[in-house]
Amino acid sequence: MSFDPARRRFLAQTAVAAGTVVAASLLSPEAALAAAMPADWHLGFVDLEADLAPTAMRLVHGRAPAGLGGRLYRNGPAKFRRGTSSAGHWFDGDGLIRRFALRDGGVELTARFVDTPKRRMEARAGAMIVPGFGTPAGRDVTLSSNDDASPANTSVMMAGGDLWALWEAGSPMALDPVTLETRGFRSLGEGLAHMPFLAHPRIEPDGRVWNLGQSGSRAIVWRLSAAGAMEAATPIELPRASYIHDFTATARHIVIVLQPWIYAREALPIVDALQWQPDQGTQVLVLDKTDLTRRRLFELPTFSFFHLGDAWEEKDGTIRFDACIERDPSFGASGARALVAGHIMPSPLPMLAMIALHPDGRGTLSPTGIAAEFPRSDARRAGLPRRYSIHTGLYRGGPLARGIGVFDWHSGRDMRFDFGDGQVVEEFLFVPAGPAEAEGWLVGTTLNLDERATELHVFRADAVGAGPVATWRADAALPLGFHGTFVE
Amino acid sequence: MQFLDLICIATITALTACGTAGAQTASAGVAAQTSAPAEAATLTLTFTGIEAKRGTIMLALYDEAGWSGGRPIRSEMLDASAAVVGISITGLPAGRYGVKAFHDINGNGKMDSNPFGMPTEPYAFSNDAKGQRGPASWSDAAFTVTAGGNAQTITIR
Repeated sequence: MSFDPARRRFLAQTAVAAGTVVAASLLSPEAALAAAMPADWHLGFVDLEADLAPTAMRLVHGRAPAGLGGRLYRNGPAKFRRGTSSAGHWFDGDGLIRRFALRDGGVELTARFVDTPKRRMEARAGAMIVPGFGTPAGRDVTLSSNDDASPANTSVMMAGGDLWALWEAGSPMALDPVTLETRGFRSLGEGLAHMPFLAHPRIEPDGRVWNLGQSGSRAIVWRLSAAGAMEAATPIELPRASYIHDFTATARHIVIVLQPWIYAREALPIVDALQWQPDQGTQVLVLDKTDLTRRRLFELPTFSFFHLGDAWEEKDGTIRFDACIERDPSFGASGARALVAGHIMPSPLPMLAMIALHPDGRGTLSPTGIAAEFPRSDARRAGLPRRYSIHTGLYRGGPLARGIGVFDWHSGRDMRFDFGDGQVVEEFLFVPAGPAEAEGWLVGTTLNLDERATELHVFRADAVGAGPVATWRADAALPLGFHGTFVE
Repeated sequence: MQFLDLICIATITALTACGTAGAQTASAGVAAQTSAPAEAATLTLTFTGIEAKRGTIMLALYDEAGWSGGRPIRSEMLDASAAVVGISITGLPAGRYGVKAFHDINGNGKMDSNPFGMPTEPYAFSNDAKGQRGPASWSDAAFTVTAGGNAQTITIR
């Protein structure tokens, strides 16, 4: 199957021109990729040595939209090296929580590391010793539970009066949402300490939270109230032990995409336990939220992925969701390891696609040909039909995003803004300003490599191509992060 | 993500076995004590780092033959109402021993684990040995007991 027919056609056409073939043979994929990367991309993976006290960001472009206020919380790894040792993977650095408070036309930035057992152990040892997704265990490291290995570095969510820093293989870590002080791991119920809680909960428009925790072919389906109180924790069996970073949900279903990147052996780090089995295809397990024993299984062509969009169900029962899919998992297995080591490794880019699960049991995959990651959408429409996917754009070939886009599933058009050579782009979120789906703001961050500073940008969701309506610049360059949440 | 989920399934089994075997081993212990030679050893075990000061420390003393799933030489229950608690085990033949212990905080008589098999109550092995993905190995946990007094301090966490 083809994920990117346009690109494949392009390659077929250019191959006809002998000169192009010669040029391609002179330029290795590694060299071509390095040329496509911004000059100082390493800035996205440096170590931050200290927390940032609350400091006002400087408005460097436009003006703050009237009526836009709230806090953007973001999480991401920001400490990878101690002594002569290094984390072996982008996903294994210590979680740094960033709080961008938008108020009265200004923005105040605070950043604080999550005070995890991992961070304490490694600070004591003066070395990166805790095993992780791609980091092997150092000598003499002792873990009492998987929470001891948590970098708490992947995402954040509000839970009652706590801000939770999320990882995927352990418990949520509670923080003070104002000071970002670490309060401690949260056990979600009696006998449920140290249970994994993915960094990608699916939150219904009324605030109810669904999430998964996984251990091989076993999983637990979490259901939490809008205040973060556990309502149910239901064990389920999966048809295969896929690596699961994200899942999705409609108003009535839990949708679990099972890629053929399989836990095939006992090993740490995690990537060493996983085996790519492309001839197994990708499966999708659909569960009824009201009765998790009611399940359907769909088959799709082989792909790998990290991120899915919110799903919805159409009148005829078809389930649809967007996904950023990769031809194979080599970015997660090796490319994201190389980034921390300072290298670029060619790997298939994530491509935006629409997946449909039909009532007759067929599954279909429709590629858009657009390189995209971090898909987000209007949270008020989570689980319900929608038209747009907000995404970062990997438009220039490398593994780091350089633009943002809003893909319109009705017209098939991608409205985009390219930040240019000097910026690396992080996740953008939709903040509503009115009832319509496009009526609102896109709020997100970039790392400005030329200015060596993190920036916060606001776009009009219906005019992305016009560029930011406001940009604020921090005094500091924070390493690239993963996911966030906007709290109004 | 699958992580350390096998950490202590074997440990739980072994410790549960030690709990149920307690009555028998206690009488075996008495028998061993009465027939012990004059140069029998005493082992003083001290448990530190107890955070929840309630419930019971359940401990089992093994020789090499019993370490991996076999029967303990002795098993004991210690009131865990202080940060540091201890016990002396008398009448032991000199030799190599290992200890497995857990803190039964809720008093249900077993080492609790979450649905994925990860321990949710503190546990420990002699020498503060740790297993990376299972119980500590005999070679890491074993210590020598000689005639007369012996001491072993274990951090339970």
